[in-house]
Amino acid sequence: MPISIVVPQLGESVVEGTVSKWLKQVGDRVRKEEPLVEIQTDKINVEIPSPAEGVLQAITVLEGATVPVGTEIGVLSGTAADAAAAVAALQPPAGPQAPPGLLAPEPARASERAPSVAVVRAPEPASAAPVSDPGAAESQGDSTRSGNLSPAVRKLMREQGVALDELASISGTGLAGRVTRDDLLEYLKPRAPRSAAVARGLPPAGAPVVAPAVEAAPVTEPARGGAAPGAAAVTVAPAVPLPGLVPGPRVSTAGAPSGPREEIVPFSKVRKLIAENMVRAKHTAAHTHCFDEADMSAIVALRKEWAPRLQAQGVKLTYMPFFIKAAVLALREFPWVNGEVRGETMVVKRYYNIGIAVGRDEKGLIVPNLKDCDRKSLVQLAAEVNDLAARARADRLNPDEIAGGTFSITNAGVYGAVNSAPVIHVPEVAILGVHKIAERPVVRDGQIVVRPMMNAAIGFDHRVVDGELAVKFLRRVCELLERPELLWFYA
Amino acid sequence: MSGVLTACHLGPTPYREGLALQEGLVRLRAESIAAGETGPGDWLLFPDHPPVLTVGRGGSETSLRVTRGALERLGIELVEVSRGGDITWHGPGQLVGYPIVDLARRGRDLHRFLRDLEEALIDALERWGVSARRAPGRTGVWAGEEKIASIGIAVRNWVSYHGFALNVAPDLEFFDLIHPCGLRGIHMTSLAARLGPRAPALGEVRRDVAAMVSRRLGYRRVRWAAAGEVRRWVAGAAAVPVENTADSPAA
Repeated sequence: MPISIVVPQLGESVVEGTVSKWLKQVGDRVRKEEPLVEIQTDKINVEIPSPAEGVLQAITVLEGATVPVGTEIGVLSGTAADAAAAVAALQPPAGPQAPPGLLAPEPARASERAPSVAVVRAPEPASAAPVSDPGAAESQGDSTRSGNLSPAVRKLMREQGVALDELASISGTGLAGRVTRDDLLEYLKPRAPRSAAVARGLPPAGAPVVAPAVEAAPVTEPARGGAAPGAAAVTVAPAVPLPGLVPGPRVSTAGAPSGPREEIVPFSKVRKLIAENMVRAKHTAAHTHCFDEADMSAIVALRKEWAPRLQAQGVKLTYMPFFIKAAVLALREFPWVNGEVRGETMVVKRYYNIGIAVGRDEKGLIVPNLKDCDRKSLVQLAAEVNDLAARARADRLNPDEIAGGTFSITNAGVYGAVNSAPVIHVPEVAILGVHKIAERPVVRDGQIVVRPMMNAAIGFDHRVVDGELAVKFLRRVCELLERPELLWFYA
Repeated sequence: MSGVLTACHLGPTPYREGLALQEGLVRLRAESIAAGETGPGDWLLFPDHPPVLTVGRGGSETSLRVTRGALERLGIELVEVSRGGDITWHGPGQLVGYPIVDLARRGRDLHRFLRDLEEALIDALERWGVSARRAPGRTGVWAGEEKIASIGIAVRNWVSYHGFALNVAPDLEFFDLIHPCGLRGIHMTSLAARLGPRAPALGEVRRDVAAMVSRRLGYRRVRWAAAGEVRRWVAGAAAVPVENTADSPAA
């Protein structure tokens, strides 16, 4: 029976591991307890010993891939008989030039790690033996035609899992009817989309998959020395990047009609951090929200007047610097909102590092903060906000820019939201949500007039910030936005 | 468990020699565990490495900020090692510690082991008035926004090796050669940078760190061994534990 090599339990809080290095190649014989593969988690690299004596039959998760604990990453032929059969199949007695480890996938380069190469393991067909390398089969004197195969053709056959006896069905256009690389490519054409679909449907964990590719790549003659009962057939999928197999978290929405209806996308590191932070925030802070609105006429006018001037100086003026200014002034007035819960204490901070939530499509949300906003002019804030957001999108933030925030602002308005109930960026105790500025009818002095209005929201931790405080704070922010001259008098 | 952690100041040790000693001890420890014997027991080695850069399994040369040629001119070797983590620097003024510890007896919990080591270093730093902390998702020990200790562990047969590097008073400019731990814009700090003339000597920190590691990992006491004992163990000579050893004051 083949034995699964799995990522073992590595600790209570360890949920996944990264295959950092395979110490053995497919086809290598290993002793029980002999180091087989290295798995890295956090900053620990663990050598995983072989669970039994045998031959490494397949590597299902390649170096660089991160998989959950318990995932099968390779297959070992377990018993001595299996091992012998596998070795016999791999090393034909008459073939001194048979390449060792011929089932081994192309070594993954750093640039094209796991997802581009897939090794698909089929369930155990009773009489199946590993797919032989054309070169190896040739050395067994198997075919008269195979002797004329060029190295390029052999390589392609190996990559595409084309068995030698399949060649009979290909009409060769080369010298004396020999099969050329072009012939083989032509022959493989109808297969290509199929294998791509198979590869797309592969669970990222690299679990065994019953692959249609197996029937398309029939197995060669039974292993010498009798059939190998229980020896698993191994199909080496194309080592070239397949169309449609896009590494990374992007979910293809093209929806090829023949494609799978679901796609499994493993969490990226950033996504995992976001998930952990969000759950921690929701589990620790007593989230409460309240809402207000601001007449943005003055700010809209100010921006209209100043944006072109600042543009000439190379600074793009958005609304965010105004929000930061208003928030900082209100925070100075309500210091309790600019704090942190630490154990059973409340830390009130007299510095104002304002976090800005930056959406980055599939790369995931990040909240870098601008330090000491109370000491910066509006123009300075404008320049720094732009720089910070640009670097956040380009993954060029310094670690200290994502730590040490005291209060955050999130602008869901850039995507069109008119209101939201934002999640606190813990351990901060409050977050300001700003939204789309839209012209709405409002009543002024008994008259209905049209004004650019914006809803504002505050998410606060009711453990330490009471509703009264939150409402007053939010009102103050809106007031400062409605009457920016207050910034003159009090900032 | 015998309850004793054997600590040893190896003295000047070229990096590769230190690695060979670790691997030798790991093998002996694993064999003794398999045989149900105490063998050499658990160790905490403190080598004094000449300047060297090491790249762990999580790293690549892209974390290097200078060319290999420049490194050669500086006489700094670049060694690829099987520990976790990215690139780091070791050298004079740094307290490098290698715990060779049976993790099977510690529930095979790798994260707990990492956290225990971090907490031990934080405890030791606290003794010197440096307030340090862990940063979730970023293994190591941080003082403010700066990194003061790096950690990278390897495990073979559930015995740990490699370990931690605490900056006591190294020339921090060496870290300019690399992006430490592969993190861009990381600033490294040291006890000397934090405390100035009040900073303790390397030997004092070594003693404290051994005591704190011993305590966090739950040993009864620390036994200090001479460097010769490790070498004898690894060379295969049956080592008789040296008796004239001082227990750590805190153990």
